Amino acid sequence: MSVTSATGTMRIVRPRRVVRRDEAKWTWLLIGVIAAILLVWEAAVSWLHLVPEAFLPPPTAVAASFAQLMVDPEFWSAFAYSLGNVAIGLVLAVVVGVVVGLAVGWSPVLRFTVAPFLWLLYSTPKVALAPLFILGLGLGSESKIALVFLLAVFPIILNTMEGAVTVSPSLVNAGRVYGVNGLALGWKVIFPATLPYSLSGIQRGAALAFTGEVLGEFLGGTGGLGHLLEYAAYQFEMAEAIAMVIVMVIIANLTLLLISTLRRRLAPWYDDRKIAGAS
Amino acid sequence: MTTTTGQRGEPEASPPAPLISVRDLSVTYDVARTGKRLIAIEGVDLDVHEGEFVTVLGPSGCGKTTFMNVVAGLVKPSTGTVLVDGSPVTGPGPDRAVVFQDYALLPWRTVFDNVKFGLEMQKGLKGEGWRDRVQEAIEMVGLAGFESSYPRELSGGMQQRVGLARAFVAEPRILLMDEPLGAVDALTREVMRDEIDKLIQKTGKTVLFITHSIEEAILLGDRIVVFKSHPGAIKEVIETGLERPRSERSVQHDPRFLELRDHLWEALQGEATAAAVSK
Ligand SMILES: Nc1ncnc2c1ncn2[C@@H]1O[C@H](COP(=O)(O)OP(=O)(O)OP(=O)(O)O)[C@@H](O)[C@H]1O
Ligand SMILES: [Mg+2]
Repeated sequence: MSVTSATGTMRIVRPRRVVRRDEAKWTWLLIGVIAAILLVWEAAVSWLHLVPEAFLPPPTAVAASFAQLMVDPEFWSAFAYSLGNVAIGLVLAVVVGVVVGLAVGWSPVLRFTVAPFLWLLYSTPKVALAPLFILGLGLGSESKIALVFLLAVFPIILNTMEGAVTVSPSLVNAGRVYGVNGLALGWKVIFPATLPYSLSGIQRGAALAFTGEVLGEFLGGTGGLGHLLEYAAYQFEMAEAIAMVIVMVIIANLTLLLISTLRRRLAPWYDDRKIAGAS
Repeated sequence: MTTTTGQRGEPEASPPAPLISVRDLSVTYDVARTGKRLIAIEGVDLDVHEGEFVTVLGPSGCGKTTFMNVVAGLVKPSTGTVLVDGSPVTGPGPDRAVVFQDYALLPWRTVFDNVKFGLEMQKGLKGEGWRDRVQEAIEMVGLAGFESSYPRELSGGMQQRVGLARAFVAEPRILLMDEPLGAVDALTREVMRDEIDKLIQKTGKTVLFITHSIEEAILLGDRIVVFKSHPGAIKEVIETGLERPRSERSVQHDPRFLELRDHLWEALQGEATAAAVSK
């Protein structure tokens, strides 16, 4: 048809590249600032002796500890232990969070009865419950997984809920007109419409999940990165302790990166900037 | 109903029952925010026979969409009855497809998959033919080449055409179209209108077509239903009585066309000023 040319060629092109170039500039600035801080730090400790090395080891010492950790089998087994717990707790939180969030968001009855409790639980400092978990579930993995779950599940539930509430009624109408009913409506319309919200909740949940794991290890037990960190601190191995913290920062950021990549892959139709939800 | 199969003579002897039969229909909305009740439409009576093309004209907010949603089974009547093929409407069904005023495309589906949505639940996707039918519908609305675009990458008019293709591919007996050409530019609009006209004449579908354009209402309709507002109700129903095929050019000097146009223009003008005054 000849009409295509009338409107067909007008594809909307977003000025992505310009934004990217700007971001690159900021990245370089950030790297510069970090390098400057490291240099000042090194100078203050190693050359000017303003701070005793025992309290604040210089970056070079931290780097050396970091390199040692990377070849230490004990570190890697702690790493596997922590990440295993985080993974189990997070997967549980994602499944429960998305299902509960969809149900509560979609059903007005649940929304009025259950949602207030969810908000109440969300706003209680769950960290305070940690000792109870250790008492109840013991010093093993169970208490850590439970803590990971507890911290991660609320942002997922609440974000999913918010997404489900804001699903456009006209999409639901379109679904019904074309024969989508009951559970299929949930699967074909509500769930995909909510997915970007869920993923953003999962991202926040994952960040908290690691906190939960390390907290659990601090409070008791004999495995994991948190335990190793605590041990290093007690031994006054400051360089090693700082190296451990850096490892955790790296893990947390890799997780976030993974999830935001996943989000772009799973929800390419969605504009990131439009999502704002419970944090 | 007037026709019964139990009669001894030919059933054709009695006039055929209307395919859509609306009696004393009113819809009131409860506006939760203000606690008030809003009468959207009141006392609407209308019969539409099989194969008829009925256009609906009326000022903004007079209840056209509400009326169509009741026929679609998306909104429940407050009083009155709506029969489709003799049985009361209790919800949407495969005999009716809707082109939504706000497009209602699924943002996570490409153009192809959105059009596919029109047949995947009702007709199923068994066999080979469905791909061709989806492709055919996409070509019909002039969107060939955009099969893998997402709705947000399309202009409003293009999205609207996806909505048209989705309705056509469902092959319903009744097409409910809510300003399906509202966002399309003038040139495309004319071509699309002729395309719709041809297709409807060929397939003999029954159509309810809401429009804001007087010319469109006359060119397409066998009958024109004029709505008034406050409360929404049918003001008059006019037989166009123009010969088919009609085109903008062929009817331009037809006295009947000019008479209809003046009449409708005056009717709507009166409505629009009445609406403005009552505010
Ligand atoms: N879901 C709803 N809840 C409350 N009021 C509604 C709802 N939908 C429509 N209305 C009200 O009902 C009236 C009729 O709306 P409707 O959408 O049917 O008008 P319309 O004739 O299709 O208008 P337009 O030509 O602008 O599309 C309006 O006053 C509107 O505010
Ligand atoms: Mg409308």
